[in-house]
Amino acid sequence: MTNFTFSRSMRRRSLLKASAAAALLPLARPFVISARAADTVKIGMVNPITGVYSAPATSEVEGAKFALAELNKNGGILGRQVELLVEDSANDVGTGVQKARKLIDRDQVNFILADVNSAIAYAIAGVTNEKKILHIVPGGHTDPITGKDCKWNVFRVCNTTAMDSNAVASTLIEKFGKKWYFLTPDYAYGHTLQEGFVKNLTAAGGEYQGDLLPVGTADFSASLIKAQQYGPSVLLNIMGGADQVNSLKQFVQFGMDKKMAVGGALYELENMRAVPKEALTGWWTMEWWWDQPNVPHVKEWVAALKAATGKTPSARHWFGFVGVHSCALAAAGAKELDAAKMAHAMEGMKLPPEIALQPGDVAFRAGDHELMPSIFVGEAHAAPAGGESDDMFKTQTLVPGDKAAGPAEATGCKVEWPA
Amino acid sequence: MSTLILFNVTNGLIIGAFYVLMALGLSLILNLSGVINFAHGGFLTLGGYVAFTLSAYIGFWGALIVAPFIVAILGVVLERTMIRWLYGRDPLYSLLLTFGLAFMIEDGSRWYWGPQGLPVTIPPILSQPLSSSFFFITGYRLFMVAVAAGVILGLFCFLRYTRLGLRIRAGTLDLDTVSSLGVNVRLLRSFNFGLGIFLAGLSGVLAGGQLGLIPTMGSTLLMPSFIAIIVGGVGSLPGTLVGGLLIGVAAGVTTVFWPSASEAVMYVLMGVVLLVRPRGLFGEEGMMS
Repeated sequence: MTNFTFSRSMRRRSLLKASAAAALLPLARPFVISARAADTVKIGMVNPITGVYSAPATSEVEGAKFALAELNKNGGILGRQVELLVEDSANDVGTGVQKARKLIDRDQVNFILADVNSAIAYAIAGVTNEKKILHIVPGGHTDPITGKDCKWNVFRVCNTTAMDSNAVASTLIEKFGKKWYFLTPDYAYGHTLQEGFVKNLTAAGGEYQGDLLPVGTADFSASLIKAQQYGPSVLLNIMGGADQVNSLKQFVQFGMDKKMAVGGALYELENMRAVPKEALTGWWTMEWWWDQPNVPHVKEWVAALKAATGKTPSARHWFGFVGVHSCALAAAGAKELDAAKMAHAMEGMKLPPEIALQPGDVAFRAGDHELMPSIFVGEAHAAPAGGESDDMFKTQTLVPGDKAAGPAEATGCKVEWPA
Repeated sequence: MSTLILFNVTNGLIIGAFYVLMALGLSLILNLSGVINFAHGGFLTLGGYVAFTLSAYIGFWGALIVAPFIVAILGVVLERTMIRWLYGRDPLYSLLLTFGLAFMIEDGSRWYWGPQGLPVTIPPILSQPLSSSFFFITGYRLFMVAVAAGVILGLFCFLRYTRLGLRIRAGTLDLDTVSSLGVNVRLLRSFNFGLGIFLAGLSGVLAGGQLGLIPTMGSTLLMPSFIAIIVGGVGSLPGTLVGGLLIGVAAGVTTVFWPSASEAVMYVLMGVVLLVRPRGLFGEEGMMS
C-alpha cells in the first residue's frame, strides 16, 4: 500500500526552507546561451527583462533593436555588422553585475548598455570602469552615475533625478502650493529624486513629509492615510514601475484626487497604459514624448517604430535607440573601438536630428557625460474617446536640459582619465 | 495619531483578509498532499490575467466567477499529469517542480499578455471611496473583504459539514486510514488541489482590481502566504486565518512609524513566532474539530 503519512515537523521544516528559497526566486534566472558570430561589433545590453521594471526594460530593448537594424542596414559600425547581446539583470544588483562581467569577459563586447534600475546601472559602472569598456546608461536615473561617482567611460542618455525634479518643481509650486507629501521608493533613484525635489521646495519656503517604501510594495493605503492626515497641496508620487501604477490606482480609488493634486517626475507611457483612465492625472515630466507635430523626423520615426513593435514608442524606446546609435557615433568619431578614444569623441558629441528627435541641440556634456535633451513638462489626461489611445499627455513647457541640470561643476563630477 | 493607527489597523485587516484567501489555498494543498506549491503565486497571476481576458466578453462579474474555475481546472490538470507522481517523496521534490512551474507561468504570462501592465477596470459602483473620514475605505476593498469572508466561511462550512470536507480533514491527519476505508485518495487529492488553486485564482481576480496586472504580481504576493502559514501554524487552517490577518495589520501599523520596514516586519513577526513558539500560534493542535 502506498504510504500516505509523512512527518508534520518535516513538513514545517520544508516549508521554512521553501520560504527561504522563495526569497531567492528572483535571482534564479537561467542564462540564455546562443551562438555568437565572429568579426562583428558587439553591444552588450543588461536590463531587467523580468521583474517589476520589465515593461520599461523591454521598451529599451525594442528601441535598441530598432536602432541596430538601422545601423546594420547602413553598414554597421566601422564597416562591420553589429550584434546586440541582451541579458536579464532580473532587477537584482548581483545578477546584473554577473551578467555584465559575462558579456565583457566571455562575449568580448565592445560596449555595454545598462540598466533601467539605477542601483544596477551604478554597480555595473564599476565593472565597466575596471574593464575599460564604454558604458552608456540608457535609463538609470540616479545622480551619482554622472555626478560625484562619474567615470571616464560612462555616459548617460536619460536625465538625472536632479534634472527631472528641477524641471517640474517650480510648476508644482506655482500651480498647487508648497506643502508636499512624498511616496518614495527606498532605493538609489528614490532617494536622489526626493533630495532634488526637497531642495527646490525648501528654497521656496515649503514643507513636506513622506514615506520611504520598499520596491514591490503592493498596498499603499497606510501611506495614503498618512498623506490625507497631513493635508498636502500635492502628493509627490515618485514611485517607479508597477509601484507607481499601484499607488496611483489606489490614490484615485480612495478619492484623494478630489482633495489634493498629484505629480512628480516620471509618469512613463508604460505605466500610463497600465492604469484605468481615472488615474491618468497630475503633472509630470516626460524625457521624450512621441507627439511632437512640428519637429522633423519624429512622425516618421514614430510610425516606423510602431510598425516594428506594434506600439507607440515611449521615452524608453528612445533611450535604447539613442544608446545604440551613440555607440556607433562614438566609434565613428574615434575611428576605432578603443574605449578611451571613443569616450573622448563622445564628450560634447551632438546627436543628429534624426536621432535626437526633438527641438534644439542635444549633446553629451563634456563635464559630466550627461546627455542634455529637453524635458517635457505637462499634464496627464485620459485619451480622448475615439482618438489615439496613447494620447495621454499634453506638453505645456519644454525645459532645456542644461538649464534643469545646472552647471556640470555643481554635480560633483570630476572625470579622471586613465593614464 | 490614534485615528491614523485605527485607519491602518482597519486597512491592515482588509489586506490581511486577502492574504488569508491566498494562504488558505496554499495550506489546503500542503496539509493534504504535502506539496509546497511554489507555483501558487503563478496561479494567482493567471487568475488575474484570465479574468482580464474574459471580462471583455462576460464583464467583470462574469469573469469573477468563471476565471477561478478555469485556473482550478488547469491546476487539476497539472496535478494529475505532473505533481501526483511526487506524492510520498521528500517535499523538496514537489518544491522544485512547482518552482519551475512558477517560472513557466510567469514567463508564459509575459509572453502571451506582454510585460506591459494591463489596466483592470472595476465596476463604477465599486470604484468609489466609501468614506475617507470614517475608516478611510473604498468600495472595492469592502467588496474584497466580503468576497474573502464569504469564501472563507464557505470553505470552513464545506470542510466541517460535508462528507468530502470530512474526508479532506481526515486525510490531513491520516491518509492511510482514509484510503483503507475505501476513499479514492487520488481523486481526493486532485479535488483538494483544485480547491486550493481555485482560491489562488480568485485571489488573482481580486488582486487585479487593486494592483496593476503584471506577470510578477504573484511572486510579490506569495511570500506573505508562506509567512501567514508559518505564523499561524502549519497544518492549521484557523491558524492560517489568524496569521494572514496578523501580518496584514502588522504591515499596516508599521507603515505609520517606519514605512521602509513595512515589508520586513512580516519576516520579523515570523522570526519571533518561530523563536517563541516554533509550531506557530495554533500549530497542529489548532485543527478544526
